[in-house]
Amino acid sequence: MSAGARACDDPHHCITCGDDGVPMRVLELDDARGLALCADEAGTRRSVETTLVGALAVGETVLVHADVALTRMEAPA
Amino acid sequence: MRFVDEFRDAELGQAVAGEILATVEPGRHYKIMEVCGGHTHSIYKYGIDDLLPSNVELVHGPGCPVCVIPMGRVDDGIAVAREPGVIFTCFGDMMRVPGSQGTLTEAKAAGADVRMVYSPLDALRLAKTNPDREVVFFAIGFETTAPSTALTLKRAKAENVPNFTVMCSHVTIVPPLRALLDSPDLRLDGFVGPGHVCTVVGARPFEFIPADYGKPVVISGFEPLDILQSVLMILRQLDEGRCGVENQYRRVVPYDGNGRALEVLSEVFELRPHFEWRGMGFISQSGLRINDAYAEFDTERRHEVPGVRVADPKACQCGEVLKGVIKPWECKVFGTACTPERPIGTCMVSSEGACAAYYNYGRFARERQVV
Repeated sequence: MSAGARACDDPHHCITCGDDGVPMRVLELDDARGLALCADEAGTRRSVETTLVGALAVGETVLVHADVALTRMEAPA
Repeated sequence: MRFVDEFRDAELGQAVAGEILATVEPGRHYKIMEVCGGHTHSIYKYGIDDLLPSNVELVHGPGCPVCVIPMGRVDDGIAVAREPGVIFTCFGDMMRVPGSQGTLTEAKAAGADVRMVYSPLDALRLAKTNPDREVVFFAIGFETTAPSTALTLKRAKAENVPNFTVMCSHVTIVPPLRALLDSPDLRLDGFVGPGHVCTVVGARPFEFIPADYGKPVVISGFEPLDILQSVLMILRQLDEGRCGVENQYRRVVPYDGNGRALEVLSEVFELRPHFEWRGMGFISQSGLRINDAYAEFDTERRHEVPGVRVADPKACQCGEVLKGVIKPWECKVFGTACTPERPIGTCMVSSEGACAAYYNYGRFARERQVV
């Protein structure tokens, strides 16, 4: 089941409506199409747009909202 | 998971709560608005308000994208969804928002092809696999979500998908905040700023709040420790008699936002002269519409959208809840006629809505215990 289906099926929480940002780890890159396969905390995978964050490396963590990587995550200071 | 677990540490939370207690001035009442519905949800989920002293009050702001959609806009969506050949797509919570003639879920039950999607990209994929139907995406959300819609529209154009359109109901956060600050019936001491909106727009657009209204703003993350620390940062500014925009969520939010996202937004959207907000009326330049370059993908140019205006139900006080004037449980229909199962007002629909967050986490206690 996709992250979206799981999240939106939850009667108490739609993560897209809720402006949630989900930290996801980059598993595979498809630079030609500007996409990356990413996994969230639970291991659920989504195809994510990477246009807004530029070139990524496998293993990086990005903050994802509505299938778009909005920012790279930095380690807490 | 890294970036998550360390911000849910209970001991650290207690320590920050202790610092908050040491910072507040006894006898002074502090009213702090969390702008974003995501914060409202976290506050109730983790019981953050219970960790605060009784004289620090959190007030819920207008930043729930579902809650601010007026009934007339839902009616417009349903009118499009009922047209033959249309597959109408939207996010999960939007399905349950009541219009004057029911919800999109009810329209689906009555025969309209309404489908839930997780992202606009999902809707575009649906269009590609259903070339003989028109797939309409009902786009809602603040600046966090708008780039996703913009990128999808760019992709639709690049890949030439003529049967995909967007009914754009995206909104921007600064105009309603200014409207709130100009409202005479509201007294606030500071703002917990919307972290994920700021990943796109940055912290700079909020500088008008300290500059013009003399109130501190702290851009905040969404984990319990983030919110507690942001409250502490606001209280410290007040204690030291200063006000400015501070960024608690630096691990995610660059002060100037995401330049590429802002570029993409300006390529695809333009500001509407006015947009109607639930409970707040029409606010100038607060909504986005698709610009001429992407006109072929604009549902409102391809369909006869009625443009319905419907007054909010009299019993419903979502407007006052959205402005932080009343608490959810002070609404006459809260938990009786209006519940998450059968919401009258939008604040009871999405879990980011203050009423649903209150209701779902069983927070009926009207008096908090003093820490």
